[in-house]
Amino acid sequence: MTAGASTEELIRGYLAERFGAADLELRDVQRIAVGWSHETWLFDASWTAGEGRAAQGFCLRRDPGNALLREMSDLGTQFAVLQALEDTAVPTPRPFFYEPTPNALGAPFLVMEKVTGTCPSPWGREGRAFYQAAAERGVLPTSFTDALVAIHTVDWRAAGLDLLGVPEPGTGFARREIAKWRALIERTGVEPDPVLIDLICWLEANVPATDQLVLVHGAYRTGNLLIDDDQVSAVLDWETEVIGDPMYDVAYVLSELNREGTDLLSNIVERNDFRRRYEAGTGIEIDDARCDYYQLLYAMRSAAFWMSASGLYASGANDDLRLARTAWSIPVVLDNAARLLGY
Amino acid sequence: MGGDCSERAMTGPAPELLRRLATTMRERIAPAVDEPFARTQAFMAAVVLAKLAGQLAAAEPDARAADREREALVTELATRLPSPPSELDAALRDLRDDGSDPAWNRVVLAIYAGRDALGDRFDEVLATVRLALRARLDRALAYAS
Repeated sequence: MTAGASTEELIRGYLAERFGAADLELRDVQRIAVGWSHETWLFDASWTAGEGRAAQGFCLRRDPGNALLREMSDLGTQFAVLQALEDTAVPTPRPFFYEPTPNALGAPFLVMEKVTGTCPSPWGREGRAFYQAAAERGVLPTSFTDALVAIHTVDWRAAGLDLLGVPEPGTGFARREIAKWRALIERTGVEPDPVLIDLICWLEANVPATDQLVLVHGAYRTGNLLIDDDQVSAVLDWETEVIGDPMYDVAYVLSELNREGTDLLSNIVERNDFRRRYEAGTGIEIDDARCDYYQLLYAMRSAAFWMSASGLYASGANDDLRLARTAWSIPVVLDNAARLLGY
Repeated sequence: MGGDCSERAMTGPAPELLRRLATTMRERIAPAVDEPFARTQAFMAAVVLAKLAGQLAAAEPDARAADREREALVTELATRLPSPPSELDAALRDLRDDGSDPAWNRVVLAIYAGRDALGDRFDEVLATVRLALRARLDRALAYAS
């Protein structure tokens, strides 16, 4: 790494070496404020290749070493998952390079294709208007459902995705998730709110069993999808994926937390349309009882996220103010959990 | 001289000052920032300042309400459950003097741990504690949401 060089200069130097093109140029370099766990940079590159000029848009994700899910979402796993999904029906960015050392950019990073499309935030006015209009046009709701069907019907063993770990049949998946998020809570060193303790006790006492294991995205909703011409052009945020119960993703889609002032699931699809198309596409019947359980597990997970995120800011490990703000998201999540538990 | 030093150093009560800072950040500073990441940070700063203002303003009355409710809960459970399982009994005795999260958590954990011993009373005891937890949560939601 060249001392004093800007991130842009370092990226250019790295790609120039990888492509063997000293004249490689970068354009439209921007760090975007999306995601919580890694810095994200978008840019276009062009370089001389043979007699012509090659061009490629890239997305680079760098691990700052102090971000949310640092211990649970490593870039090497993300890169391996993208590689495993490259030849499947799941729309994902093509992975190019993964660098596990800090030698080139001061921290590990991966480089993947910059996929055409936009990612409107479902939490903002413009995003809500976008999804409402797209829902009325009718194409995106179908594409939204079909992309989840593609994820849940991937032959994950053939794709090598057992690298993610395979839970024991029965209650293994739910127990693993509870243990994972409990560990994150414990790592914060902060005493949990008693409502969260109540929630965890309830989850442990009511674990559902399933023998259906699929690739689970873990955060499947609008806002984590790139949209191009009303089609899902890429499923993003491969940070919480697991091999597990398909109802875990379905519950997330059905969640009230993922729709802002609309009856449409994830701001985009009618409930009955989603159910019909999902069940027809996957051959998996939606189990409402398991989905109800996972709504509560998501509440635990969200509380763990926000405890971890706000703790990173409070400890001085990370100065991103979005993390600081999440301290006040914890009561909101616990309110949802308490209501689901009946109080 | 005298008075609260935070009020001496500023132009009024701290929560009001934080609210004004939040407004300035949200309405004047953040919109003037062009760079997207920094702009998001500026808007987040406004949100954080506003939340802090609400939390600070509510701190004293919330603490008084929490003490009252905790004492009422301990008294009610002592009446409803004259002979609680030993772990729950110890946790409730701690809660009488200590309203911290760890003390509350020991009560919740003891209820679940004593589920078999509580038998038919489990749901009733848990519901009683949950009423108190609900009140705590509602107070936090007043400035969090």
